[in-house]
Amino acid sequence: MSLEKDPAIQAITDVRALLDTLLSSGWQELHVVSDDTEIFLARKGGGPNPMRAIAPASAAAAPAALAAAGPETAVKAPHVATLVDALPVGTVVTAGQKVATVRVLDESETIEAPISGTIIRHDAAAGELVDYGATLLNIQAAA
Amino acid sequence: MAIKRLFIANRGEIALRIVRAAQALNIETVVAVSDADRDTAAARQADRAVVLGPAAAAKSYLDPRLIVHAAKESGCDGLHPGYGFLSERAILPRLCAEHGIAFVGPEPDVIDTLGDKLRARAMARAAGVPLVPGSDCVASAADARREGDRIGYPVLLKASAGGGGRGMVIANNGDEAEAGFHRASAEAVAAFGDGTLFMERFVPEARHVEVQLMGDGKGQVLHFGERDCSVQRRYQKLIEEAPCAAMSDDLRAQLHQSAVALAASVNYRNAGTAEFLFDVQRQEFYFIEVNARIQVEHPVSEMISGFDLVQEQIRIAGGAGLSVAQQDVVLSGHAIECRINAEDASRDFLPSPGRVTRWEPPQGEGIRLDSHMSAGAMIPPFYDSMVGKLIVHAATRADAIARLSAAIDDFVVEGVPTTLDLHRAIIAHPDFVANRIHTRWLEQVFLPGFGKKAA
Repeated sequence: MSLEKDPAIQAITDVRALLDTLLSSGWQELHVVSDDTEIFLARKGGGPNPMRAIAPASAAAAPAALAAAGPETAVKAPHVATLVDALPVGTVVTAGQKVATVRVLDESETIEAPISGTIIRHDAAAGELVDYGATLLNIQAAA
Repeated sequence: MAIKRLFIANRGEIALRIVRAAQALNIETVVAVSDADRDTAAARQADRAVVLGPAAAAKSYLDPRLIVHAAKESGCDGLHPGYGFLSERAILPRLCAEHGIAFVGPEPDVIDTLGDKLRARAMARAAGVPLVPGSDCVASAADARREGDRIGYPVLLKASAGGGGRGMVIANNGDEAEAGFHRASAEAVAAFGDGTLFMERFVPEARHVEVQLMGDGKGQVLHFGERDCSVQRRYQKLIEEAPCAAMSDDLRAQLHQSAVALAASVNYRNAGTAEFLFDVQRQEFYFIEVNARIQVEHPVSEMISGFDLVQEQIRIAGGAGLSVAQQDVVLSGHAIECRINAEDASRDFLPSPGRVTRWEPPQGEGIRLDSHMSAGAMIPPFYDSMVGKLIVHAATRADAIARLSAAIDDFVVEGVPTTLDLHRAIIAHPDFVANRIHTRWLEQVFLPGFGKKAA
């Protein structure tokens, strides 16, 4: 398989081209919606991300049962640490919301949800020493 | 209290070496690894491995908080730092002490003192250890001549504010000292805005010798003889021997005594090494510094003493006294170690990480290999490229060279280039065989010829 035909490489090339377009224009932001892809690019000081604005609203509105249909995302430990606490399974969270606390010596650190969705599983228990990269919990995206 | 579970905050061959030493003492082991080192020999051999962080050392092996947290939460009551990384950073033993973990090494205050060159020199002077003969500030050309005559030529005129070779002049006699004063002073003014100079004896062909020490922290210090580490490239040791065959027995006794006095003066605890410059022509030695850790080349001292230094380190950290007396340390024969790196000597020692496809080390009497490698093992590009240390022991230096040469011939490594060929050539060189080497021999004499042959 040639590198040029690799879809991942192609996607990166496309994003670069969009970024170049934005930077060489006088625009503040660029929002592209195609069949299965949506992308939003903005300069510093550009408008709010419309994709983010929609997601929490739908997650909040959707019942947990309906939300449990999208892809799963693992929330991982950023380094070795002790898991202090985590929001319970079934909690609906929005991207950027605190979902867990880890501790190194006497210093606590907040772990945020990388996506909006529902916490569907814990992979580590409170008090457990977790390795770097170990999954703390899993969030299922809102459909 | 004796250590029950030991945390190993290092990687590579030394992590495996420490795991084995602890296991010989019936101590459980937890090895710290980075993401790149999950599947290493030390991680497999230990009771448990904890993944600190990503491959980058700054976010794994060099983060003292992550290390001490992992040690504490995995139930360890002792921590061995190995060499390199955080082994000589006082923050690590300080954090260990705060969290009730015994640090396998010296007190943090001693590490701080030894790490400061000026304080270490003052400490050596106070303990009566010889320093390179030198002067205080030199104010004029006439002063420079007078001091040069007193110190003995050749001398080095150095900018007091200096560094990096600027404002530095070598003088071989009184006339050169006077002329050199004007030149070095002008250079120093231009470079640092301060023309103050001092002088130091220059040893053009020095050897590097060092004494292996072990202290109980209460003033009792043992030595395990000296090592000669004069085969160096860019201040990195390539080959180490014990004993130093170029030194007389008289001077050797003085060297050991100086090193022990120095360590005893600070109630040194655990393993350490006092490093000296050895002027072979004058048969004099001068203090350089103390390394407050176990060193890469400790096996040559173990081979001639038959004593396991790492096990003793762990026992002492657990509160035990020295397990032997000086008269029980009997040194015999000659040992040589070569550091095998995954480097391409024909391409300016370019580090060559990758996967080892074949690994068949030599075996036999008087041969020791300290290595974490095996067929299929990975050498990640993030750390130093040492893949192991080949050590031989024999009755005499000549026998040891012959044994090492045969061992290198029997060593099969495929998949990555190594410095084995370089070592074979070094130990076959007439200067090495006749022991006519010094710290700049490899770079000045050997490598230029080696490069031509390789090309």
